[in-house]
Amino acid sequence: MKTMKVSFNVNSEDVTLDVRPYETLLETLRERLFLTGAKEACGLGACGACTVIVNGIPLRSCLVLTPEVEGATIMTVEGLREDGNLHPLQETFMEKGAVQCGFCTSGMIMTAKALLDRNKRPTKKEIVTTISSNVCRCTGYKKIVEAVEEAAKRMA
Amino acid sequence: MKDDLNIVGKRVVRSDSLAKVTGEARYTADLTFPGMLVAKVLRSPYPHAKIVGIDVSKALKVPGVKAAISGFDSYGVKWGVFRYTQDHAMLHTDKVRYIGEDVAAVAAVDEETAMEALARIKVDYEPLPAVYDPMESMKDGAPQIHDQYKNNINIHIHIDVGEVDRVMEKAYLVREDTFKAAGEAYAMMEPYAVVACFKSGYLDLYMPNAGPHVRAKALSNMLRLPLNRVRIRHINSGGAFGGRSEVAPGDLVASLLTMKSGKPVKLVLSREENATSSRQVHDMIATVKTGMKKDGTILAKDFRVIYDGGAYSSTGPIATSIPFYVYEECYRFPNVRYNGYRVFTNKGIRGMYGCHGRAFLAGNEAQMDMMAKELGLDPVDVRLKNGLKPGEMTATRSKITSCGLKETIVTASEKTNFRKRWAKPSRLKGVGMGCVAIMCGFPMGFRSGSSCYVKINDDGQVTLVTGLVDNGQGNESMVVQVASEVLGVPMRDINLVNADTEVTNLDPGAYSQAAAFVGANAVRVACEDARGKIVAIAAEKLKVKVKDIGLKDGAAYSLKNPDKKMPISWVVREAFFRGEPITGTGSFFPNIDFEREWVTRPWGQMAGTFSFGTSVAEVNIDGETGKIAMPRFTSAHDCGRAINPMAVEGQMEGSIQQAGVAAITEGNLWDKGYLLNPNLLEYKVPLACDMPDMDTIIVSSRDPAGPFGAKEGGLTVRMNAYSAVACAVANATGELFSELPLTPDRVMKMLERKKGVK
Repeated sequence: MKTMKVSFNVNSEDVTLDVRPYETLLETLRERLFLTGAKEACGLGACGACTVIVNGIPLRSCLVLTPEVEGATIMTVEGLREDGNLHPLQETFMEKGAVQCGFCTSGMIMTAKALLDRNKRPTKKEIVTTISSNVCRCTGYKKIVEAVEEAAKRMA
Repeated sequence: MKDDLNIVGKRVVRSDSLAKVTGEARYTADLTFPGMLVAKVLRSPYPHAKIVGIDVSKALKVPGVKAAISGFDSYGVKWGVFRYTQDHAMLHTDKVRYIGEDVAAVAAVDEETAMEALARIKVDYEPLPAVYDPMESMKDGAPQIHDQYKNNINIHIHIDVGEVDRVMEKAYLVREDTFKAAGEAYAMMEPYAVVACFKSGYLDLYMPNAGPHVRAKALSNMLRLPLNRVRIRHINSGGAFGGRSEVAPGDLVASLLTMKSGKPVKLVLSREENATSSRQVHDMIATVKTGMKKDGTILAKDFRVIYDGGAYSSTGPIATSIPFYVYEECYRFPNVRYNGYRVFTNKGIRGMYGCHGRAFLAGNEAQMDMMAKELGLDPVDVRLKNGLKPGEMTATRSKITSCGLKETIVTASEKTNFRKRWAKPSRLKGVGMGCVAIMCGFPMGFRSGSSCYVKINDDGQVTLVTGLVDNGQGNESMVVQVASEVLGVPMRDINLVNADTEVTNLDPGAYSQAAAFVGANAVRVACEDARGKIVAIAAEKLKVKVKDIGLKDGAAYSLKNPDKKMPISWVVREAFFRGEPITGTGSFFPNIDFEREWVTRPWGQMAGTFSFGTSVAEVNIDGETGKIAMPRFTSAHDCGRAINPMAVEGQMEGSIQQAGVAAITEGNLWDKGYLLNPNLLEYKVPLACDMPDMDTIIVSSRDPAGPFGAKEGGLTVRMNAYSAVACAVANATGELFSELPLTPDRVMKMLERKKGVK
């Protein structure tokens, strides 16, 4: 099968891979790099469980073809810890009880991180609007919103 | 019961959450094993067809294909929860009964190869007439879906208490209404997946499930393997909500493929397959007739409920009964008749969504409000008047022990200024209240109880072994918290081995709302057993009386002189020297009447205890569009005692989403046998922006038998939130709903009906 060579940086590590031309970034991350934190829950961009940050922008990795990310800098949930310390969002998601089954959690945290990276003091409404791109079936979102608000405070 | 608890009742960080926020938590689809194959399933394109032949030989010739199977490779053993409902072979040789049904499958080195091989499987079908509507299905002459069920009636539950007809005639006010509701999609975030590895005669399986022991038993029957040869392993579960309680067709498919190929096999369903071919929720038609006294006392209820059962029995008699029970466990019905019919149609396989039954429950509650209005009564008073009290018996003879129903009604109504607002609703604004009770466990034979083993390790850390399952609601953390309380060991030093059939003992699973009341109770008892042994040695060593020993922060200490202490690890080492390592066993078996049978003897004690809850919805209706806005939602839940209040609130908030907001947005749409909205673009799971402000109130009734007084933690909201919404819409419009979800078109019809426009 014909493959393409693609190079990018993921979680501060340069990688070069031979991938199928139609391979999604989600498949590459999960199956070639064993970064399984991003989940496939819908496969058509409706739920956000596969969200990763590509060049600072939260993207649904199920809708991105790997050959498109040539030269890109990618961060997945596995790359969030710094020097072994949890990211404030990871701490507050735990402390506020924003995690139940956990299947949406990686995508939810990455979506929230991209928000806090571009907007240090988001209003509650901005948080609600932003995370409305992601589906959670368990929590009713209240504790997720609280966790993002608290993380923003800690990062300020 | 002591109330100075160290950790139970605290808002603790769940023990499973670190792995989940770092992406390290493994779910089934994340697993890889050396040589693992990818499985794909060929599904029926017909709602009803005879299978003339299946030829997988061409698929096997595709390079990279290691196995191809159909029903002809299976033993044809039919699954059913009860002997009288065994009708689901999961891979068939005679006919298919719904679109999306599993017909054949392949395992190959990669997905592309598997897809190519699927295309080469040849199936000859002879299409048969099909039926999609349960009312049509019950008629004489309708296509017969299973030979053994006349008129396609899978189950008829008949309950008759008192003298319904005679009392109904004497009632001051009688009202009869019919309510419909579409089944919801479970829409758990994790699509169904299963990994199966057959090696040296042992079959290891990973899949999201609500009860590993029940699953292993079913598969051992279907695969004709001894029970110990089928081992369900622990894996994280991305949500279940009642949809993963039973063995799944994919389990059989993956098992046959690994047994045939000798290699590990992974089957991951797409979101669409998860909707069409895992389980769906019953559509329902409920006719509710109520006779009331002038003062609002319910004299009699007469119910006729039709459940669209899809193609197979599934939990048949349980699903046909449960909506009735969660209602009779809440209110006093001196005379009541229930006729529940579960009817087959050529649609997908079904399960219970929580305790399911929104047409029935919301219908009852909304009708009660209309009757209260007609009698000039306040719905809060009507609920208080008819609500069961501690010590009372339900109509089918379950004794209610701890009961905070009254407190939930009072608190929820006071917090929302309910009485005043209900009596004088502003234009197109309304408030509504829903109440319900939930059984914490129900009869499941010897699987109704749970057993736990605990060992204290030489470093003073603890290992718990229990069959208890976590589908995301926090059961694992809950039992760690309970063990921490009993043993005085911090939660981080407690290791949990659970939901693995090889090493754990029986447990009801995350099914029948039994995890807190039954599973955690067994953990408590086992830890108390171990605690006794720790305390005995510590008392001896510290020269203190046994009753004066406390355990806290990993140390045993004198209650009278806290400086006198020793680490639990020292106690454990001493125990090893004595050749009596510190272990504990414990079990809990709830007080259930095991003579109870769903069809033949529907009376007796249903469960060890019941939880109670009240929800209040506030709605604003747009008169131009019929769109409902829900600014605020209040729920009060009696969970006995909240082991982790944060987790209980999370269950309540999630329930407001899954039942409250869902009452205006969610429902499966069908065109005959085709599910029209199988994906998450077309099926609207409420988003953060759709949520009301939520106020959750935990009411503690301290159950005498529950672990530290606990009962199930939040399901009442799942079963009363839609009632609150339906009642609020009735309050705003003056009209009863006829069908859920309350989409704008249906609300417009209600408004037009009110105006007298056709």
